[in-house]
Amino acid sequence: MPYFRATDPFPLESADHTKLHEFYARLAAGRLATTRCVGCRRLAWPPRGFCGECGSDRFDWTDLSGEGTIHAFTVQEAGLPAGFDGPRVFAIVKIDGLRVFSILVGAEPSKVAIGQPVRVSPLRVADDPNGNARWLPAFCPA
Amino acid sequence: MRKVAVVGAGVSKFGVRKASYRDLIWEAGKACFDATPAVKPKDVEGLVVGSVLPERTAFQSHISSMAAEALGIRPSALSARTEHMCASGTVGIRYAYAFIAAGLADLVMVLGVEKLNQPSGDEAILNMGTGVDREWEAAFGLTAPPCFALAAQRHIAAYGTTEEQLAMVGVKNHTHASKNPTAHFQKGATLDQVLCSRMISTPLRLFMCSPITDGAAAVLVASEDRARDLTDRPVWIRGTGQALDGFQLTSLHEDYAHWPALERAGRAAYRMAGVTAGDVDVAEVHDCFAIAELIAYEELGFCRKGEAGPFVAHGRSDYGGEVVVNPRGGLIGCGHPLGATGVAQAAEVFAQLRGEAGARQVPDAAVGLTHNNSGMGEHVVMIYGREDR
Repeated sequence: MPYFRATDPFPLESADHTKLHEFYARLAAGRLATTRCVGCRRLAWPPRGFCGECGSDRFDWTDLSGEGTIHAFTVQEAGLPAGFDGPRVFAIVKIDGLRVFSILVGAEPSKVAIGQPVRVSPLRVADDPNGNARWLPAFCPA
Repeated sequence: MRKVAVVGAGVSKFGVRKASYRDLIWEAGKACFDATPAVKPKDVEGLVVGSVLPERTAFQSHISSMAAEALGIRPSALSARTEHMCASGTVGIRYAYAFIAAGLADLVMVLGVEKLNQPSGDEAILNMGTGVDREWEAAFGLTAPPCFALAAQRHIAAYGTTEEQLAMVGVKNHTHASKNPTAHFQKGATLDQVLCSRMISTPLRLFMCSPITDGAAAVLVASEDRARDLTDRPVWIRGTGQALDGFQLTSLHEDYAHWPALERAGRAAYRMAGVTAGDVDVAEVHDCFAIAELIAYEELGFCRKGEAGPFVAHGRSDYGGEVVVNPRGGLIGCGHPLGATGVAQAAEVFAQLRGEAGARQVPDAAVGLTHNNSGMGEHVVMIYGREDR
């Protein structure tokens, strides 16, 4: 038997796999959403199916504005995981009062700056093992 | 609670090893038993194994039983594996401490082991991504270097810390490692070499980072009565603390150069031990990246917030300074075989407090500290003391 790699680095996003599937459905339509707890009305990032503040597992989906600013970033040039290319801009984006971790695509790494406006740019990654499209919430310069 | 001491320690060669996962267990176990002639494998009542990635790198789970059989240990009181990413080894020592302090065991081995350089280099790094959130972080290709790079960026912006000061952590720890035959790196490093090394994640360069390393380490931990039977120089576990601020990057303090959980873990350990930062003679802190060592100086109270850059630059964390930090060579010099690191740190403090550290000996070391992080918001601190303090 030849050596094969048995690692899928991406989340399983469909309704068969996660109660957060609505996040990915909206992302595929270009919308960045998150959960708001029905119990205490707390807005979460990332979306969550259980509120650690009030203990409720009931939540509503809320679209975020999709536009924010860079709070912190670094450019990784080497030592990236198998299947991921550098240079790669990792960023913390401030958006509607939340901090969101992501990558910045379509940007010249040497020109990225703290405070720079960015907007959500859904990134299609490898399909899941059942052939469903998968998306990640990446950002690009606004 | 009963008093608990370390009575023996051994470390395998760290590096990119031509050795299997089990070879590394044998090597550290033999080193520990050879250094502790009063203890045979059959005498050991419990085994805790700190190991993070054997399912991926060795295609093996059920680690504690596998290691016990490999070493001829037949646990009668405790058998467990601890996985807490980069703190797994120290978390294992805390379990052994708690079992012994509570009277549930008298003599326990804690072994840390990792075979990281397998199956291939870039897959080894991919495996490390399991230590951050798979769905919201690792899916973007995140591993540890960019996380700590955010802390370094912030420390530079807030406190004027320089690249040279970050590099001096690398110089110090590579230099220390050159006196440690078990360290991954043996050649030392100059300031120019560190500053000219390859950029990994801005502003962290290769020689400011710990490498991907294979290795194992073991310590024997005993109750007071058992310890006094086994050695005339036990090294006492005097304090321990652990605190978590959060797991995901976006759950941590908004200022990535501020690590409140480390301050809390340190404070708990100092209080339990009845010592202060000024009493610590030797510290093995978690320099997975140079910035992590600098922030550890601040949060552990070796210097004030923002002053860690000058602290290392003026030699205050080196031989002749206030506290010798990472005489073993740290994670930067020794390498960082995740589960083995905390146990190897304990082995170094054990040697230092017994006066057996040879060319690395810190003169008259009486109080030692070890620290692991498993992310910027998760910290564990241990305080060890010599018989007479």
